[in-house]
Parts: sequence; structure tokens; C-alpha cells
Amino acid sequence: MISCKNVAKLLMSDELQAQTWWKRVEVRLHLAMCKFCSRLARQVEQLRSGVRKMSEQDEADPNLEERLIRRLSGK
Amino acid sequence: MPSNVSASRLEFLTANRKMTPAGTINPAFLERLRRRDPEALAEAVHDHARPLIRAARALGFAEHDAEDLVQDVFTTFLEKLETFEGRSQVRTWLFGILHRKAMERRRASIKDDRMDPIDEVFESRFDADGNWTRPPADLERLLLSKEIGEMIRGCMGGLPVNQREVFVLREVEGLDTVEICKILEVSVTNFGVLMHRARARLRECLESKGWSKP
Repeated sequence: MISCKNVAKLLMSDELQAQTWWKRVEVRLHLAMCKFCSRLARQVEQLRSGVRKMSEQDEADPNLEERLIRRLSGK
Repeated sequence: MPSNVSASRLEFLTANRKMTPAGTINPAFLERLRRRDPEALAEAVHDHARPLIRAARALGFAEHDAEDLVQDVFTTFLEKLETFEGRSQVRTWLFGILHRKAMERRRASIKDDRMDPIDEVFESRFDADGNWTRPPADLERLLLSKEIGEMIRGCMGGLPVNQREVFVLREVEGLDTVEICKILEVSVTNFGVLMHRARARLRECLESKGWSKP
């Protein structure tokens, strides 16, 4: 049985997809049984949506492209 | 203890997550860029400026500095077009220039990253058999709050630049591992280590904010 530590490592390093089919099944079974690892898995997803929210707040102004093109063409 | 999380809810972890594939470079388009065709330049800017600005902002550059940096990226791109052999995608090349320029501006260097204190913090959460001794706190209230964007911004400042870059390119831009490794000139193994450390640091930082459920 795969350990919590190994599941946590796979989740956080984004290496799950590179694993064998059997290993991925093992991780899924573990997640279905382990409250803390499934919590960590959800947090990995929520961090992703959180950082995207952060980035949306940084949305550049609508004239960005035109301004850049003007400056680059002037060179 | 069985979790109340259903297998289908965990599908997202084991299913193939959609990554943004790199577009293919059209030799005719490259030729037009080399001739400084204004329409080709406009197309390149429209396709890539916004993601580059977004990445620069996520790396901690203020709005004006990010725009200045991206202008510098495009200027270098145009200057070096003659040497661009089309072996990588335009996007990969532009992000690679952004990476190097950002490092120059920050006067940052990639430190010897064989050792990182965050690894010990991670290890300390498990016993010798790999079972949780200090499980992750429940951060649901924080992670789903309106303030999460700002909280993450605060925590991102504590990430070494290479961890921040890996995290931004993957999680904000959705680039795949191979492309990120090309942009940052790191191995796939190193990519995994950097992602792990970035997430571990962000998690620890958010957990330390004390928003967890009692």
C-alpha cells in the first residue's frame, strides 16, 4: 500500500501523470480512503484556482497591445 | 478512516489535465516577422503580450515594470529573429527571453537548490512509515475566500524565483512540463522538485495565516 508521504509527493510535484496505470489506481484508492491526503489533493486544486484569481486581478489594460505595437514599430 | 470524498470528485487528479499545447511555428510567418511586416508583428503581440504581462506580474513586477519588461522581451525577440531557427515555438522562445530578462532585472541567480529548508518542513509532517503525524490543516475557508488572490500574492513573495516561475507557468499559463523545462532550462526531475517546493511553501504560508478551522 502506498504511503501518505508518497501520495503527497506525487500530488505536489505534478508527477502523477508520469506514473504507471497501476500506480495511478493505487493513488486513487488511497485518496478515496484517506481524509488527509484527499484534503491535500483538494488544496492543490484550490491553490491553482487561487493563483488564477490573483492573476485576473492583474489583467492589463485594454490598450496594451496597441501601445506595445506603437513602441516596437517606432524602433 | 474512509474519506467522504467520492472517487468521482478525485477524477481531476488522475485524469489527464488539459495543458495548453505549444502552437506550431509557420515558416512563412517567421519570414514575415524577419521582414518586419507590421501585420506579423501585430499578430505576435496580440498572441503573446498578455500572457507575458500576466506572468511578469505574477513574478512580482509592478504594472509599469511588467509592461516595460515585456517591451524589452519583444525588442530582443525582434533583434534575434535572424538566429531563431524555428526549432522551438515562438511562445517558448518569448517566455525563455522573459525568464532571462526577469532574472537580470532582479539580479537573481539560481542558487544551489540541492538543499531547501522547505523539504525538512515537509518531511517533518510524516513518521518513519510515511504516515501523517502533522496532517494538512483544513484551509477550505481561506482557499475559497474572496481574499485568496491577495493572500497568495503575499505568500508568492516568499518563494525563490525559480519555484515561482515553475508554479506560474504551470498553474497560471497551463504550459506542459516539456515546454516549461525548455523555457527555464531545467530537467524534468528538477521541474518536479521545484513544483513540490513551490506548493509546499505556499501551503505552509497559507496555513501559518491561521485561517484553518479549529
